[in-house]
Amino acid sequence: MTETPAYIGFEEYSEHVPASIPAAVQQATDRFVRGRAARVVELPQWEELRQIGSDIRQHTIENMDVYLTRLEEKVRVAGGHVHWAETAEDANRIVLQIAKEHNVRMAVKSKSMATEEIGLNHALEAAGIQAIETDLGEYIIQLAGTGPSHIIVPAVHLKKEEIAALFREKLGIQAPSDPIELARIAREVLREKFLKAEMGISGGNFLIAETGTLVMVTNEGNGRMCTTMPDLHVAVVGIDKVIPDWESLTVFLKLLARSATGQKLSTYTQFITGPRREEGEFGPKEFHLVLLDNGRSKILKDPIGREVFKCIRCGACANVCPVYKNVGGFAYGWFISGPIGAILSPQMLGTQTARELPYASTLCGACAEVCPVKIPIPTILRHLRRRVAQGDEFAEETLPPPLRLTAGLTSFALAQSWLYRLGTRMLPVFMSIFKRGNWIPSAPYPLSRWTKARPLPPFTAHFRKWWKARSSKKKDSS
Amino acid sequence: MTNPVIESIRKSLGCTAQTPLSPSTLLRTSPRPAIHAPRQPESTGSETEVFLNEIKKLSGVGQKLSYTEIDASMKALVEEQNVRKATAWETPYLRQLGITEILNSLGVELVSPNANKHEMALCDLGITEADYLLPETGTIVLGSSAEKPRGVSLLPRIHLAIVRPEMLRADMHQVFAEAKDRHYLVFISGASRTADIELTLTLGVHGPKNLYVWMIDE
Repeated sequence: MTETPAYIGFEEYSEHVPASIPAAVQQATDRFVRGRAARVVELPQWEELRQIGSDIRQHTIENMDVYLTRLEEKVRVAGGHVHWAETAEDANRIVLQIAKEHNVRMAVKSKSMATEEIGLNHALEAAGIQAIETDLGEYIIQLAGTGPSHIIVPAVHLKKEEIAALFREKLGIQAPSDPIELARIAREVLREKFLKAEMGISGGNFLIAETGTLVMVTNEGNGRMCTTMPDLHVAVVGIDKVIPDWESLTVFLKLLARSATGQKLSTYTQFITGPRREEGEFGPKEFHLVLLDNGRSKILKDPIGREVFKCIRCGACANVCPVYKNVGGFAYGWFISGPIGAILSPQMLGTQTARELPYASTLCGACAEVCPVKIPIPTILRHLRRRVAQGDEFAEETLPPPLRLTAGLTSFALAQSWLYRLGTRMLPVFMSIFKRGNWIPSAPYPLSRWTKARPLPPFTAHFRKWWKARSSKKKDSS
Repeated sequence: MTNPVIESIRKSLGCTAQTPLSPSTLLRTSPRPAIHAPRQPESTGSETEVFLNEIKKLSGVGQKLSYTEIDASMKALVEEQNVRKATAWETPYLRQLGITEILNSLGVELVSPNANKHEMALCDLGITEADYLLPETGTIVLGSSAEKPRGVSLLPRIHLAIVRPEMLRADMHQVFAEAKDRHYLVFISGASRTADIELTLTLGVHGPKNLYVWMIDE
């Protein structure tokens, strides 16, 4: 449902988060964190797998043109059609063109971040084609007209009573406030759509260059429905999803479900190489793969930032992020949230549009600890903060001149030890002006942004003195 | 024909279409990093045990049966689940087991596995074999052909897979090595599930609600 945003106001949003969102999101994240931990201890070679996964992704990034070319050739050999989309508009135009050629009136969709990224649903609706999300959570938020609050459970912020009311209002069906009953109703309603739709639209988790295979991982079975029932299957997949071969896939499949939901494998993993071969086997008569660039190829130029393309979209980084857990997915303003969103959106949308996101982090590093492909998220966040502030060959500088001057003077001062020492001597004097008892209840701007929320404790210890005392004590005792 | 996306990738990576690839790997860099040695399988008996136990953990029903128990087990399944309509793969093995005859004798209406999707959606039970089994994850691996249509394991509300110990493989590495040239494969690990509403586990949201796996021991 998300459109490309003109500006992401993370700070403003996070100041007005409804309390129900962090409460629901934390329930989900706690469960996924526990599930992941239980699976990880079962696998003694977990750390080694992470390293191999990370290395394979790095290798793929460095050979991306070779693998994509191989992929394209193999998909064609298997009887599939390959389309290249430079931009979101190109991708939407390609899908619409395919739909028009086949007189499609209704399309069923399985959860796909790539189609969220390009706003495909809007483009289809505008052309008079009904696009129906079929993942239960996605279906619910599509009815509600909102965005996802969590990557795995997008409707987790809604209570069963709210969902029941939504079903009554939008579907005109008597719906009780019971999760199992509600799922049964959705199954019936969506079953009809699966059987009726002329086109199935999906994303993809991986693309295997070796054989031109699309790999899709789902739990509900809607992914299988979308790629089995209609005669036409269109997959929209980012170019970063390509992997070298099936051996590489073993590594990522072992990492993905364990990191995402704490399952060993998701319920259904499909391996699709081209359209159906025989009349009676079910499956689409025609298979189209839309390879989406939308700025990715340019990001490859930044050797630090491009590690974001190692991501396998498990959501583990969000589940452990103290910032995400307190604001939920909406605050990140686009199709992808959490720490991974904070490093992807600014690179794709530009450091002007998403300039607040690299700061939506405490740099605690929990995300990097759990990332199954070892993306150094805090390093990339710091890298992007510098790009936001100073600009570089990829981005314009956005820091206003006074702040740039302050930053410049600070970095100069911190590099001169005599200036640093002078500063630490002056600090207690400066603080005494604002000290009231044992606290500093309010400080001048910009420190007031801290004291607005809580008092500041004055600095009392002196590191250099302490260090000197400690080393002389050590000498005495030895 | 030049492809603008590939061109743009090359530009970012600092190479061109003319930049030669390494002759030994046909890549820009050294070969892709080495991957773990595959798992070593245990005895068939203990692999079967691990497999059936994993199915149970995934809310499925996994049973070891002998040839002679199939009739009675099918009768129990049909009665317990109130099966009126069923469909089954028409593979040599299922034919040899006489699955359609057993269902007929139980008064179950049979639908052709190549019937259209609307008809198949009305079935209570879909019966398949499996091409491979993965013990560690309780996974059944299914291929696709006119003889083994995909709809049978997807549309009916109950899926029964009748399998044999010789389908067991040590792990994914082995399955992929044998089957990567197939045009379609699906790994099924448990019954269709979701936790999308208030994190309450719900089975059978789009795919089958019940998964039965019968391991036939000869």
